[in-house]
Amino acid sequence: MKIINTQLRGKTNVRIIGILVIMLFSSMGLYAQTELSGLEIMQKVADRPDGDEMEGTLIMTLVNSRGSERVREIKQYIEDLGSVEKKIMFFVKPADVQNTSFMNWSYDDENANDDQWIYLPALKKVKRISSDSSGDYFMGSDFTYDDLGDRNPADDTHTVLRTEVMDGLDCYIVESVTKDEDYMYSKTVTWVVKDRWYGLKKDFYDEDEDYLKSLTLNSIENINGFWIITGTEMKNEQKNHSTRMEFKNVQIDAGINEANFTERMMKRGL
Amino acid sequence: MKLKSKTFGITLSFILLMTFNLSAQGLSLSGYARNYTGVLLNDTNNYSILQNTFNLNLEHKQDNVAFKINPLIYQYANEDPVFGIREAYLDIFFNSMDFRIGKQQIIWGKADGVFITDIVSPKNLDEFLLPDFDEIRIGTTSLKANYYHGNSAFELVLIPAFTSTKLAEAPSIWARTPDFPESVEIVNDYSNKTIDQSLENSEAFLKFSGVSSLIDYELMAGYAWDDDPTMYITPEFGVVNGAPGLTKVTLAPEHNRLSILGASTSADVMGYVIRTEAAYYSGKNFSAVNATSLPFDILEKDYIHYLIGTDFSMGETKLSAQFMQEYILDYDDVIVQPEQSNMATFLANRSFINETLTLQLFTYYDITNEDALIRPTISYDLSDGFEILGGANIFMAGINNDYTSYFGYFDDNDMVYLKLKYSF
Repeated sequence: MKIINTQLRGKTNVRIIGILVIMLFSSMGLYAQTELSGLEIMQKVADRPDGDEMEGTLIMTLVNSRGSERVREIKQYIEDLGSVEKKIMFFVKPADVQNTSFMNWSYDDENANDDQWIYLPALKKVKRISSDSSGDYFMGSDFTYDDLGDRNPADDTHTVLRTEVMDGLDCYIVESVTKDEDYMYSKTVTWVVKDRWYGLKKDFYDEDEDYLKSLTLNSIENINGFWIITGTEMKNEQKNHSTRMEFKNVQIDAGINEANFTERMMKRGL
Repeated sequence: MKLKSKTFGITLSFILLMTFNLSAQGLSLSGYARNYTGVLLNDTNNYSILQNTFNLNLEHKQDNVAFKINPLIYQYANEDPVFGIREAYLDIFFNSMDFRIGKQQIIWGKADGVFITDIVSPKNLDEFLLPDFDEIRIGTTSLKANYYHGNSAFELVLIPAFTSTKLAEAPSIWARTPDFPESVEIVNDYSNKTIDQSLENSEAFLKFSGVSSLIDYELMAGYAWDDDPTMYITPEFGVVNGAPGLTKVTLAPEHNRLSILGASTSADVMGYVIRTEAAYYSGKNFSAVNATSLPFDILEKDYIHYLIGTDFSMGETKLSAQFMQEYILDYDDVIVQPEQSNMATFLANRSFINETLTLQLFTYYDITNEDALIRPTISYDLSDGFEILGGANIFMAGINNDYTSYFGYFDDNDMVYLKLKYSF
């Protein structure tokens, strides 16, 4: 796993020092506790600050059982507007999906479904699509739409199985069993790095409780004071297929116009 | 637009030269090459199509301006290439306004594969409804102006020169002509088909649309020419086999003015996307049988065309169903078309092997005439951008297997086909 701490600049230094102080006190608090519950750990993972705005280029490399690769490239913009997080993706590669775009509005309200639209250049039309498709695989990769989103910790029952050292980092191993019988995964097991609250590894088990696939962290970068995951790999053991995901040219809180998250921009493109 | 021989060569050379020169200046270049082979399943086993296509998209953007040109070449077996421009336009972007000027395809409405409020761009029906939808659309030289306010938008479209829907003509297997006895001479008169290019003959469309977490909507109005011409049929009578009878008919297609009001919506209701679309057409012409002036007459009526549909998933299979109805107001019994015509569409789509293999079934079913078009396909991505697609088009005869039956008329045109497509 690669950990990169980029140069901190200018005004952000003060804020980052503040964050570090908070993290330090949080850590002291953690050690002062005898034990954190599984829910508390997964809530800390969900609450880990990653900026209000993010943009970058997502590169997915799909590797099949014969080792042949297919590459997808997507330009992505995300903005957290408080009660709603808006995301827009512009597909760059492969050529047959070029200029396709996808927009998602995700709400803090647990009872509100995501709103999703797709623009298909051949049809020259923005179509609303069902938010019920969270279990679908994204662009033929090993990631489902749900894998790419933020799962609410309250949707699962969490148990700390043990602690363990992985890649030289102290980790909690947390088992999360879904409360929804229809959910595509019966449970997941996550290796969460103590104090930093990101996952190093996550195992997924299918509805029959058989081991399905594993997500591993390849790289994480400290950008503008936020730990941003920039490289992962999902390996589906049942299909013998894997997907490497890299997030390049990442910018945090660089100033994204809210007008970017509109039907107008879906049609207009990059 | 079709160009041939020398003109074609010069134009192609110019475009390629322009492409190479501009590629170094940030010109975006994409497109596809495709081979399309179809075989009829009737006794003839004739090829329904032997087509090679080269489609190029050239685009360039900088700050608040952009342009796109989409030249294409169709080459049919043993024929000279046919060169065309699907779109060629300029864009100007402002903070809250966009302008697009030039030849462009404009698509409205929420329905799939059905034309209710989606009547801005006319259709090319040379191969019926079988080509991809971007190939069915005919780009028209237009001014499109958009004004945006948040997630809402006004869109104004002005089309100075009317373009008609392009219908297949004999000897195409997709030509549709009224049936007359062989003894009847048929004369085509196109003298009234062309609309003079003048300001008063322009078309105008206006749309207000928006997206929100609750519902997506479009409200539209149009003052346009009917893209589909009315066929005026003038009979002449004489002596046939020693008895009085029909000896000659003159077929004179003519377009008439229409006023249209319409709306469409789309909303996600508990995992089901519910789509609706409706339009009111004022002044539509309908063919009628008139006992006193055999064999046909024309009546002008208002009519309503509406649709309700849903998209949903069942496991990993995507499903879509639509029901639509055309209803003629103030109906007269002599009109050939029924007072109400009902149709349905059905789509099922499922991908396998990490979306490299896709099975799809799309069906039009005319509930009124009980005829149908069934379109199963299987496609495989050999590699990124290279698709092999095999499919069939099966026409089912209905209760009225004549020219009034939209799909059953082509009952002899069942076919299988293969498309190889390389996108770049």
